[in-house]
Amino acid sequence: MKQMIHYSLAVAVIAAGINLNALADSPPGQVDFGKIAPARGGEFVEIQVKSNLLSLAAQSVEKQQPDVAKLLRSVQLVHVNVIGLTDENRAEMEKRVRQIRHDLDAQGWEQNVTVQQKDGQDIGVYTKTRNGEALAGLVITVFDPKKEAVLINIVGDIRPEQIAALGEKLDIKPLKEVGAALKDAAPKK
Amino acid sequence: MNPSPLPPAIRPPARRLWLWGILAVPLLLLVVLAVGVASCFRLSSDARALRNGLIKSSGVEWRQQIALNAGNLTLGIVRAGLSCARLDPEARAVLQAVRGAEVGVYWLPSGAKSPDRAAMFAAADTTMTARGWDRVVGVMDGRNLVTVYMPGKNVSTHRMKCCVMVFNGSEMVLVSAQANLEPLLEYALNQPALRAKAHLLTQR
Repeated sequence: MKQMIHYSLAVAVIAAGINLNALADSPPGQVDFGKIAPARGGEFVEIQVKSNLLSLAAQSVEKQQPDVAKLLRSVQLVHVNVIGLTDENRAEMEKRVRQIRHDLDAQGWEQNVTVQQKDGQDIGVYTKTRNGEALAGLVITVFDPKKEAVLINIVGDIRPEQIAALGEKLDIKPLKEVGAALKDAAPKK
Repeated sequence: MNPSPLPPAIRPPARRLWLWGILAVPLLLLVVLAVGVASCFRLSSDARALRNGLIKSSGVEWRQQIALNAGNLTLGIVRAGLSCARLDPEARAVLQAVRGAEVGVYWLPSGAKSPDRAAMFAAADTTMTARGWDRVVGVMDGRNLVTVYMPGKNVSTHRMKCCVMVFNGSEMVLVSAQANLEPLLEYALNQPALRAKAHLLTQR
């Protein structure tokens, strides 16, 4: 009986250790947007490129394009969600985007850019720093009530102005478009 | 009375065993060949699981058009056979890179109701995640559904695996491939057009 108790305790301790490890593995710049189900008849795009593939991409271009390889190595995760808006899901998505922005504020993310375009498109860019120095992550929320909602989370040390280049290298259209929109919205020097 | 002596033990002559051996070898080879040929028309377990999950969740009946599987051995034979042939450098790079490929094509009979794509999407994710694959791309647009999966672990340029599903409203295609990307990358990065584009990217 005593052996059973010791064994169960040992298993519980190991399981707790594994769970803690799992929690510790989630980097500070990563944001969970929650489960987003595609709406019937609406467009839905989800792209998730993790560090293993990013390292692979960096490795493959190391010799010819060291700057691009450096950019890719500084990123651990690229997560893009594009949700087409229909009458069915527009209100819910607007609420979801607002909630995500609220949660980011509450978790200490800094709102760097807010862009309200003439066509009603609303772009928000949030960044999280690590120890007040390097960037830990970047979140971009785009809400275009006539078309789609876009949620982007990039984990790693990347500046908003590098998003277009990253989108270009990984050939991710939503990233390229958002990067271009941010560039257009940036104050001209 | 003396008991009668036991008859001497009869051992089969050695040449009978040799005869059986000679007959068994071609039989075994035939069996191996049959299994090999049959495996060319059977998808791998991961691709089969994805197909079954998609079909079950769609709520409709599908017809199989084709299922082909070319493993490392088959492609090795093809590579050996084409080694002396004149091939485009691009084609040769692809041939050197691909280590295994399989494709399954399934279609909906005319008059069949439209399958539940959202359910198919969810089922594909559940099936592949349970088998250690990560979804890299998922697109649902109009009648189209596209998902791309890659293994969550053990990914390198020498060992790249990928599983793609495309459904266009009436036909579903499953493609799975394994490749060593080194020959392809070497070819691609030595192309002048790509090198120019890469140079442009580094200027940003």
